[in-house]
Amino acid sequence: MISHNLVSRRQILQTASAGFGYLAFAGLAGSANSAYSSDNSSNPLDPKAPHFAPRAKRVIFLCMQGGPSHVDTFDYKPKLAEAEGRGNRGPNSRLMPSPWKFKQSGKSGLWISEVFPEISKMADELCLIRSMHCDQPVHPRAMTQMHTGNAQFVRPSLGAWTLYGLGTENDNLPGFIALNPPPASATNFGSAFLPAVYQGTKVGRPQGRGPGARFAQAGGDQDALPDLRNDVLDSEQQRRQLKFIQSMNRRQLESYKQGNEVDNSGIEGIIESYELAFRMQDKLPEMMDLSNEDEKTLAMYGIGQGDTDGFGRQCLLARRFAEAGVRFIELTHGNWDHHARLRTELPEKCTEIDKPIAGLLKDLKARGLLQDTLVIWGGEFGRTPDAQNGDGRDHNHKGYTTWMAGGGVKGGFSYGATDDLGYEAVENKCHIHDWHATILHLMGLDHKKLTYRYAGRDFRLTDVHGNVLQDILS
Amino acid sequence: MRTKFLFQSYWLGALLSSQLVAFLSAPTACAQDEAPQYTAEQLKFFEAKIRPILVEQCYSCHSAEGQGTRGGLGVDTREALLAGGESGPAIVPGKLEESLLWNAINYEDFRMPPRKQLPPQMIADIKQWIEMGAPDPRSGHVAPISSQVTDEDIEKGRKFWSFQPPTESEIPEVKELKSWCKNEIDRFVAAKLESENLKPVADTEATKLLRRLYFDLTGLPPSPADIADFVKAYEEAEDAAVANVVDRLLDSPQYGERWARHWLDVARYAESTGKEVDQTFPFAWRYRDYVIDSFQRDKPYNKFIQEQIAGDLMPAKTDEIWQEQLVATGFLALGPKALIEQNPRQFQADLIDEQIDTVTRVVMGVSVACARCHDHKFDPIRQTDYYALAGIFGSTETFYGGFRSQRNRQPSGLLALPLADKASPFKAIPPAELAQLKEQVKELEVEVAQARRQQLMPNANPANRPGTNGTNPTNPNSDPRRAFVNAAVLEQQLVAVKARIASVDENGKPLALCMGVQDRDRISNARLLVRGEIDKAAQEVPRGFVALFDAETTKLSSKSSGRLDLAKWMTRETNPLTARVMANRVWQHLIGKPLVAEPDNFGMSGPGTKQQALLDHLAIKFMKDGWSVKKLIRHIATSHVYRLSSNVDQLLFEKDPDNELLARGNRRRLDAESIRDAMLTSSGQIDTKRPNGSLISALGFALVGPNGPVSTIMAAPNTGTPGTGPGMSATGTDPAERFRNVARMMAGGRSNPLAVPVYYRSVYLPIARNLLPRSLAVFDFAEPSMVVPIREISSTADQALYMLNNDFVIQQSEALARRLAKDQSKPAERVRELFMLSFGRPPTAEEVQLSIKFVNDTSDAATGRNRAEKTFAAWCQLCQAIMATAEFRWLD
Repeated sequence: MISHNLVSRRQILQTASAGFGYLAFAGLAGSANSAYSSDNSSNPLDPKAPHFAPRAKRVIFLCMQGGPSHVDTFDYKPKLAEAEGRGNRGPNSRLMPSPWKFKQSGKSGLWISEVFPEISKMADELCLIRSMHCDQPVHPRAMTQMHTGNAQFVRPSLGAWTLYGLGTENDNLPGFIALNPPPASATNFGSAFLPAVYQGTKVGRPQGRGPGARFAQAGGDQDALPDLRNDVLDSEQQRRQLKFIQSMNRRQLESYKQGNEVDNSGIEGIIESYELAFRMQDKLPEMMDLSNEDEKTLAMYGIGQGDTDGFGRQCLLARRFAEAGVRFIELTHGNWDHHARLRTELPEKCTEIDKPIAGLLKDLKARGLLQDTLVIWGGEFGRTPDAQNGDGRDHNHKGYTTWMAGGGVKGGFSYGATDDLGYEAVENKCHIHDWHATILHLMGLDHKKLTYRYAGRDFRLTDVHGNVLQDILS
Repeated sequence: MRTKFLFQSYWLGALLSSQLVAFLSAPTACAQDEAPQYTAEQLKFFEAKIRPILVEQCYSCHSAEGQGTRGGLGVDTREALLAGGESGPAIVPGKLEESLLWNAINYEDFRMPPRKQLPPQMIADIKQWIEMGAPDPRSGHVAPISSQVTDEDIEKGRKFWSFQPPTESEIPEVKELKSWCKNEIDRFVAAKLESENLKPVADTEATKLLRRLYFDLTGLPPSPADIADFVKAYEEAEDAAVANVVDRLLDSPQYGERWARHWLDVARYAESTGKEVDQTFPFAWRYRDYVIDSFQRDKPYNKFIQEQIAGDLMPAKTDEIWQEQLVATGFLALGPKALIEQNPRQFQADLIDEQIDTVTRVVMGVSVACARCHDHKFDPIRQTDYYALAGIFGSTETFYGGFRSQRNRQPSGLLALPLADKASPFKAIPPAELAQLKEQVKELEVEVAQARRQQLMPNANPANRPGTNGTNPTNPNSDPRRAFVNAAVLEQQLVAVKARIASVDENGKPLALCMGVQDRDRISNARLLVRGEIDKAAQEVPRGFVALFDAETTKLSSKSSGRLDLAKWMTRETNPLTARVMANRVWQHLIGKPLVAEPDNFGMSGPGTKQQALLDHLAIKFMKDGWSVKKLIRHIATSHVYRLSSNVDQLLFEKDPDNELLARGNRRRLDAESIRDAMLTSSGQIDTKRPNGSLISALGFALVGPNGPVSTIMAAPNTGTPGTGPGMSATGTDPAERFRNVARMMAGGRSNPLAVPVYYRSVYLPIARNLLPRSLAVFDFAEPSMVVPIREISSTADQALYMLNNDFVIQQSEALARRLAKDQSKPAERVRELFMLSFGRPPTAEEVQLSIKFVNDTSDAATGRNRAEKTFAAWCQLCQAIMATAEFRWLD
């Protein structure tokens, strides 16, 4: 075996083309006060210079799980209304016009469905992308492609790439927070081969999963993240204990390195997890405590108002995290998979998010945060103009709508289009790779330059694809 | 809830009448696609008299065009009427008394139309129509769907590597590495390495190897004495030492518990329905114990599979065997279920889909369920293949238990077992109490009905008219939302009492029940559903297997569902996939990575493998050894490949980053169960006995989960509370509060009056789909609503918080500190024991020194009344710190 001239994983990280991503061990165990402070300049989460001037400093991603119907929400299809019953996709195709009316909103006159009365009022902030398409027709794979660009292999998620590229501005909180993520979605917040420090931290429990969901939404309850407090040890005692744990971990890392080990990602991840956990103990309860928000703000998000309470709290938390400098915040709202009963169930879902999202946009704007916060709304795909099971709609990955608002995008703008009925994107098509490229661009990152060398190859979020949607940039 | 009593000879006998699955082909009249022939006169009668009644009186609630098909009943096609809704066929041509439509329009058991009974003339017309055979030209049948997959595609598909039976290739010749090889596995690996100019890394150390063997085979760490013995034996004779340990561990009861859990991951084992309404499965644990026992006894894998798919149809010589086979079929009944689904046909179609998906992915590593809506996108599997299987599972009735309520619209029965439990998780009920409970049912039924009316018409009663502020202060039920909650609470109490009654026989003796399946008495083929939509039935598809793997086109008897034939077909030696898929799983759990990287995707879109010859060798040997999992494990664990160090240098990493060439070991993180069990083992607190049932069984039928108005776990017949169990009394503690307590306990929360600490192995912890134990969820437990062939591995701040702050962890570190204090008086010796217990190796001198320094520094600042208490507190902290390290949870 060749034992000289070895390049450690750390060295790889240091010399990788993006040039950062190296874990700061120096002095972790050696000196008493460095373990928990952030004054080490090589902390992988420290803010980093982007490739060019960014238009947005942080992302709030409102992820609608299940595939919301575009033809009933943001993609106005008057021809569909006239074409009732006459499907053109096979002998059994039956078109279903949207049961809801669309109207023009704001100065821009964007066509938005009546299911979103509050969001419609913010039309002039929205940049609709009505020509989305992706490659995956089923939920888990489409969801994974939306988050990682690739449905087949485990790849780093959009949030992880963003954090890797930019670091974070608050080292007492995770740089990438997934609020109430759905079950079995770790890949969508994961870092894959990027250092584990870039993976999303789940805060709160998945919607509808256990009583934690209730606690998580309650704001101020420590159960937002379980085990956030130690009842036995005081902070000083715990600090000493943690230092000992980390010294053991570091010794193990050293022993691996002496054995010419290059793949230390597992142990690095554990070391990082303790650092962050210790700091989060202090800061997170404070962040989750909504009691210092005034009545007016709570009302604006629909908090305390039945159906909007749950997502309203999430949206308000998102603003608080954004304000505190968290780089990437993802919220999930589930159950948009309307194969049946669209007439009754879609409006319920819309009501749950309408006021909270409008409140979030208003609040961000009022605080001057919207100009450098990129808010993204979308699901893994859209739905067919065809009816299914009476008044349901099937999956449609060939054409659907997402929107962005805030940092760097044109407000009151509509980009691209599907065909007359909403089956397929036909004009200015935006593939999920293009969407990723654009998001990174708005954050000041060139998707072609944001690479990570793994197993002898430079990987990108967009693989070998992706074009920035220049037309939507403000 | 109906309990199905079965007798040993049952499988030969006749079945009780069971619910008809709506999309199965209707009897004789339209077994084929042609419409029945009616006379012009009959059709004229239908058009003139019957169609107007149906359209005007029924369509608005019972047609695809109207507000849906309430109660699962559509009356807009002939097939829909014959199939009926959740209560049974609406029309049986010529048989008035069997036609529920007749019953309903006469306002007998049903009352339709609900607002006003039909005029006598219309009723007379319908009578005449049914008696003349219910002529009805309206057909919902859609033209047959033809497949895009040609016979040539299938023929070509059969040539794909994994769709051909494994072939025994010659064990390769090895040159330089010849002496390195210990068995055939090594020769396959070495030959490949030589061709790539690579060499295997050095062996791992003896202590690490032993730790690997213990965790891999039993899920528990070795004791310090085991380590000392092994190190000595390994120095003397490496191979013999390894072989002896492997044999000993395979014989230990802990082996079955460990390997059963791997199976439970893919069998999506859980003790509740999951989804929106998470109702418990109080008898799921029987299947869990069955799997553990099967691995423990090394039941041949082919038999293991057959029992789970068709144990109810296999002959059984004794009641014990019969019982075991019935419990095995719980495999098909355990899946997640949307109990809130209103349409029984949709529910049934989804249930069958879940069974097809699970069976095909788990056993054969291919997904057939994608062919529910269209031909398979990647493999030449036709939509008809799916419906051939759907006919088999559609001719099967699934028993999972439950009671009808507004939240559970799809309850089912359970199977009664031939043998009584030695110790039932349910208590006997004295006759007086049983009678009292039955009275309570009646009372509660009245109350529920009242509460429902209240909910619909809150102001019907003058006492409930709103007060000045909009609600009546003296009657909180005047608020409709409140009334809804009230009705739901009462209903759950009713369910709880019913569940308790159903847990015993007439004399109050506990019944032994299980989940599982039975053949229906009506065996029928399924119709292909266009795009998988239940109201778009096309051609009938004969029951059968997947054509791609069934060149002979097996014909199934009309006397049984065909499940047993399916099970035997899946496990015959010429099936190309079954042995390979299991060999791949066994390899994965020992080596850390599977040979085929997606263990449930051996199809054309799957990743394939660089080690096909090795995989085939394992699969063939597996079958030759009588499908013995233990022999396969022994084969792999005694190979040289198993002993390799997990260290990887730059060169090897660049050349083979994913370790597909197997020149090194894979560093692994322990799974959640092993981490918890290792803490319990180190602390000495572990209870290796199998608990009786599960915490879930003690809860009875209950709803778990935060959604909806009643978040409550009710009906706990055996929680140790004297008198009627909690939740049994309508005036008891607030159910929501009780739910929170139980839920917090299960979620590992603190300060909980109901918290009963359990120290048994993690495989026995309660698995409610929406409420996983914290100790499991935090370390990437397998999502129990899905087939999970590989668990995710993450390193999160949440895990760090758990190790730093969780009560369970803190308790275990205290117990460990007590154990050390009892065993050793000298600090250095204590540290040594701590390291041996936790890491399976002695500490270095420096580690001893650092540990003692930590204890000294800590005890100065620790809380405690005296020196001894402070020192003990410091040792507790050290123990916790050691359990929190990376080394504790990683397997080198």
